[in-house]
Amino acid sequence: MPGSASSIHRPEGLIERLRSAAADGGDAKLKVLRELKNQIIGNRTKKLSYIKLGAVPFVVSILSSASSTSDSVIVQCAATIGSFACGVDSGVKAVLDAGAFPHLVNLLSHSNEKVVDAGARALKMIYQSKMAPKYDFFQEKNMKFLLSLLDKNNENLIGLGASIIIHSCETNDEQKMLGDAGILKRLINLLEGTTSQRDASLESFATIIKENPQVISEFVGPENGRTWGTLIELTKDRYPRTRLLACMCLILIKNAVPSYLQSVGIRTKLILILLELIDDSGQVGDEALFTLSSFISDEEGLQKLAFEANTIRKLCDHMQKELLQPKRLEGMLMILANLCSNLECCRSVLLQSPKLQTIKIITDALSHTTVEVCVAACICLKNISRSVKYLSAGHFMTEAIIVPLIQLLYDTSTSVQVAALHTISNLVVDFTMHKFIFVQNGGVKHLVELSKSMDSRVRLSAVRALRNLMFLVDSRCKEGIFLELRALSLTSLVSDPSACVQEQALGLICNLINGPVDSIDYVFTEDALLLNAVGRQLWSASKPEVLIQGMYVMCNVASGKEFQREAVMRQILPEASNNDTRSIMVTMLQSDVAQLRTAAVWTIVNLTVPTGAGALARVVKLRNVGIVSQLKNMANDPCMDVKLRVRTALGQTMVFGDFST
Amino acid sequence: MPVRMVESPAPSTSSGANPGQTSLQPCSLLSVGQTFSGTQNVSSPQKEEAWRVNVRIQGCDLNHGYVCGTMEALNVPMADTPVVTFWEGEIVDTKNYTFFTNKWKATPEVDIDHWTKFSSFSPLLSQVEVDGGKSLDLSNYQYLFMRWKEQYFVNVGADCGLTIAGFYYVCFSCVDGSINGYYYDPNSSPFQKLELKTTNEGRSGFSFSSYELQ
Repeated sequence: MPGSASSIHRPEGLIERLRSAAADGGDAKLKVLRELKNQIIGNRTKKLSYIKLGAVPFVVSILSSASSTSDSVIVQCAATIGSFACGVDSGVKAVLDAGAFPHLVNLLSHSNEKVVDAGARALKMIYQSKMAPKYDFFQEKNMKFLLSLLDKNNENLIGLGASIIIHSCETNDEQKMLGDAGILKRLINLLEGTTSQRDASLESFATIIKENPQVISEFVGPENGRTWGTLIELTKDRYPRTRLLACMCLILIKNAVPSYLQSVGIRTKLILILLELIDDSGQVGDEALFTLSSFISDEEGLQKLAFEANTIRKLCDHMQKELLQPKRLEGMLMILANLCSNLECCRSVLLQSPKLQTIKIITDALSHTTVEVCVAACICLKNISRSVKYLSAGHFMTEAIIVPLIQLLYDTSTSVQVAALHTISNLVVDFTMHKFIFVQNGGVKHLVELSKSMDSRVRLSAVRALRNLMFLVDSRCKEGIFLELRALSLTSLVSDPSACVQEQALGLICNLINGPVDSIDYVFTEDALLLNAVGRQLWSASKPEVLIQGMYVMCNVASGKEFQREAVMRQILPEASNNDTRSIMVTMLQSDVAQLRTAAVWTIVNLTVPTGAGALARVVKLRNVGIVSQLKNMANDPCMDVKLRVRTALGQTMVFGDFST
Repeated sequence: MPVRMVESPAPSTSSGANPGQTSLQPCSLLSVGQTFSGTQNVSSPQKEEAWRVNVRIQGCDLNHGYVCGTMEALNVPMADTPVVTFWEGEIVDTKNYTFFTNKWKATPEVDIDHWTKFSSFSPLLSQVEVDGGKSLDLSNYQYLFMRWKEQYFVNVGADCGLTIAGFYYVCFSCVDGSINGYYYDPNSSPFQKLELKTTNEGRSGFSFSSYELQ
């Protein structure tokens, strides 16, 4: 008949025995340590439970009296500590708080190899956590110690050395120091060692060369034939992890020094290897996705190669076949996003697939519970919607896409909000007159709210989205947007502390007053609040992008009625009371930025249209402040667009006779 | 004091390491949102006919020699409503595209037959006959040459009885934004002429709008 479990099998009982063992010693130590280790190995719940019950300090206490205990007890202590530290940050903290670290380091110089191995393994576990103390490479003795770890022909010691590098090497100076101290050389030698040595070496090698062209030029790259050749060879290794790490190293080299890895053959091979590794259902598959994504992220040529390697089809198959883990889904979305960042052919494949299955998966991912997946889905959709061709076909302005995106504007994460705003910015350009779908679903209200955010990134993205929404919008929607936005809010955005926000706000006003001529009235509401704000900005701003947009506002207003042209004249000419008789227009016309000169000349073209009743008076005023003579100086402007508009403007001013004499 | 304008020179032939690789200069009249209107002559030997046409620029990327927009034909006999198509254009910049089409059933002879219809093409003819214009520097030329190819119907089905099989040879004047074009489709009447001018929606001047894709 089974009896009730005795107290010694419960955690509390084991802790009690551990306490006694720590105090009394003897054979009991070994037994209880073994029992504890067997219970916690691979069992996160048990680990956390024993940590809470205070088991770690007892184990460390036994280890601290190592000189008086047998080697097998030491090995059990180190293994138990390593197990507590493995994969659980609170375990690492408990181990460090209990003072295990120096005792474990001492074990590395023990005469018994098994003790050394156990110590090295435990330290490696600690160094795999972010909680581990930073290793100071700038201390000579530390560097010597690290070299000694890599010099021993012991896989655990090499593994520990690699973990220290991966954990603690963060800055360019540290990378350089490790290179100069011979660590990189040693790691390169280890690339020809056992599988575990190779993988450890490749990973720490990647850490040392990451984003450091100097180290790469000095120690690796194609001119260091042996290293380069070894890395290429390792991309064909039989072990998937080794292949992945070798690809990672080559890609890091290429990312830091773009002139390396130019061979189309090797580039294609890397893409094919990574695509094959994606089939690995574990960590290798996940990492392969992000490695491929980073490989193709900045280069259209690589995106084209990846497209030709059938990447989209492969990813779509995965996405349609199985329910993906968040990490995997995020990686796939990021690859699709990068493929669609430049290439129309990639967008076409997704948008022309039967029943738009992949687009539906991407849209569904907008409502995923994981932040990273939501952001990746937004970026993917944003890049797909860079296609004017499909924007024009109205592929995106549907409730199925717009509604979840508007929902994301409520998200508590700023990164999600910004990603959603970027995507919305593209989608609302919509040329199919379906912008009302966005308006009807409450999108404008949220954009206006976010345009008042304290975070300038959010504010900028929201105003940009409003600007794009206002582009070629019909009069009814335009009125709705303006009512929601109000002249006063728009005025504050024009003088926002961020110049980028100012630029977008001015672009928004340009679009607001473009189209039917009565749209210009918007800048004259509330005593021309908006027009005055734009005028002030033209006199005070210095960033050319802001001035260009501000100038185009004036240009658009000057394309309207006589009184509107006169209002523009008042904004651009100096006030009589002002000692400065120089018009801002002369400054703009003399700008080094051709686009600003173009905008300024267009404004003058509109102001001098000869049919207007006040045209002659305006020409006289423009001449009096030196604008006409400045135009004459620009008759041979290096920018053809400017030169042609100057020709038109001068032609118009001369309709009334030449004032030059 | 009046100054003398330096007239734009005829395009030169580039020499050196990068023949014909200069990018075209932007022209504000060919920017997004700009609209044009005019006619397309679709007369046949049996009947004089012209359709009113409106064009709007929706995208322009000079680096890639790309331009796109919509074209609206207003009085198409077999359609109840105006017919809107989306078109994509190749800008002849000698970097991305030359004067030779090399597709859409257009041989170099057909190309030259059409380009020579534009008087502004005359100074270029001899070089184009040699290499399609690959070695020409068009960066300061006041005319842009393009091919516009309609891609799909925006507001009617593909079964509307109309065809978009052909494409337009287009010459755009950077001076005043006027557009001349000739439709080419081996199965349609030859040299259907397209003539467009900038429009300003009741304004007495030019107005601009823009968007910024992320």
